[in-house]
Amino acid sequence: MNGDAMIELRGVVKDFGRRRAVEDLSLAVPRGEIYGLLGHNGAGKSTAIGMMLGQVWPTAGAVIIRGHEVTHNRAAALARVGAIFEAPVFYDYLSGWRNLEVLSHYSGPVSARRLAEVLDWVRLTGREHSKVRTYSHGMRARLAIAQALLPDPELLILDEPSDGLDPEGIHEMRETILRLRRDLNLTILLSSHLLNEVEQLCTRIAVMNRGRKVFEGTIADATRRPNRIRLLTDDFAAAARALTAAGLADAAEGPSHLTLRAGIRVADVARWLVENHHPIHELAAEEQTLEQFYLSLMNESRAGAQPTPPLAH
Amino acid sequence: MFLRQLRSELWKLFGKKRTYIGFGAFLVAQVLMLVMFQHSNWQRNTARLLEGNGYLAAEYLSALTVAVVMLIPQILLLMPLYACLVGGDMVAKEAEDGTLRMILCRPISRARLLLVKWIAGVIFCVLLVAALGGMAVLLARLWFPWSGLFVFVPGPTRVFAVLPAGEGLLAFVLAHGVLALNAATMFSLAFMFSCFNMKPAAATVLGLTFLLANLVLENMPFFEDYKAFCLTHHFRAWLLVFNQPFAWADVLGHLSVVLGCALTAFVIGLSAFQVRDIKS
Repeated sequence: MNGDAMIELRGVVKDFGRRRAVEDLSLAVPRGEIYGLLGHNGAGKSTAIGMMLGQVWPTAGAVIIRGHEVTHNRAAALARVGAIFEAPVFYDYLSGWRNLEVLSHYSGPVSARRLAEVLDWVRLTGREHSKVRTYSHGMRARLAIAQALLPDPELLILDEPSDGLDPEGIHEMRETILRLRRDLNLTILLSSHLLNEVEQLCTRIAVMNRGRKVFEGTIADATRRPNRIRLLTDDFAAAARALTAAGLADAAEGPSHLTLRAGIRVADVARWLVENHHPIHELAAEEQTLEQFYLSLMNESRAGAQPTPPLAH
Repeated sequence: MFLRQLRSELWKLFGKKRTYIGFGAFLVAQVLMLVMFQHSNWQRNTARLLEGNGYLAAEYLSALTVAVVMLIPQILLLMPLYACLVGGDMVAKEAEDGTLRMILCRPISRARLLLVKWIAGVIFCVLLVAALGGMAVLLARLWFPWSGLFVFVPGPTRVFAVLPAGEGLLAFVLAHGVLALNAATMFSLAFMFSCFNMKPAAATVLGLTFLLANLVLENMPFFEDYKAFCLTHHFRAWLLVFNQPFAWADVLGHLSVVLGCALTAFVIGLSAFQVRDIKS
């Protein structure tokens, strides 16, 4: 096992009847990182999270949390794990305080002082004895964070935590996640549709499509496009023609972009332009947003997708 | 920790308004039946039956007698309904609402969670039956004196008992112990269905259907030789408690079948719950 991984999935497969929901999924979430799990609806993210939390049994493979295999040693694996699901649900007819008490009893003894502490941390002090049915969506989201913090977690698993929140709520949730990482040094697995959120919060991501992992790496890996450059010069069309003729670039794109041939670096282009007396006002490797990366990845997957074969009986 | 978890389940169960529907329905039904007993032929027929057998009606038309008379229809109709309603809700409602996912992301085992829920449900059944008996006696006492107990049940489970007040009260309490076990078994049936992947209403309906099917089969003439296979046949042990002399062996035989069914239902439910996937 990867000794520094808080979550490790090894060749995990999940079938629901004849439908394969997750196919040979392997990933590792390093300690201390905010790790994003991306993919559209039905991509297999929630099933993967379900398997991490021992709610969904894998058909094959191993799910290891904090060094313990969840299937065989669920109690040890989840002892210091907190989780939040989309649209947090509570016992509406009980108070926020009583909800936390009820949920804490399934983890281990939690003192009244600790309950007060987490409620204070999520700024619900003063409303803790009101019935949850009187809480706003944002307050429920904060109560969800409070319940996740009760077992003094090392790992937080957040499944669409911003789902249904208004822009202010989304901003608050983002700040809270950053605060959790900064103040409590937690490892966080974040599943989200909000690519902008993921880009701002996560250090590493994995992208899932049709139950398969189609990318895993850092945000920088995802947004870097090493073979595409932006060039500002006196005569872009002439410079582009010359670079193409010299075998350095493939094609010009628009008024200032070029796609480089494989193996050609930005420095090679800069040297050639200077040697051939093309003035350079700006030359930079092109970056893309996470959204552009995600959409291109999905398009590639769609283009190369084979229909998932039905399972053999 | 087990006791804390049990307390949590009781908070959840008794925090819901719908949990009290059964208690409320019993109270309303008992008041109605008491009024009917007072102002219909029911009371006159009971008095005639007593006097026809050589007993003084005034001595045995008591709070205890009326409480037992009021109990019989409620136990046939209302008790299965409310025991199954709570049993069907116990797991399936939490799965439907999403709170089960919140619980199961914690390091509690599924077996432990289910055991705690089942015990909480059994406690509910005991309280429901205790309230049923307590309310019946208290309401009946408002109109009838505290004296001997007379119980007459015609048909195959023939019971004819005339007991002094002290012995009558003891038999009444014992009968409620047996009724609590019956209620817990009815609850366990719906609880078992609730552990499968289905809606709470479906679990309740399946539990009630199972009981109804047993009752129908038991009363079919050509099923006479096989009625011991029907659970409802064994539920009648609560009436046998009033018979004098008290047939311990018969009562214990029925109770062991009922208890066995309750435990079997729990084990089947646990097995289903253990292997199922909990998804949103």
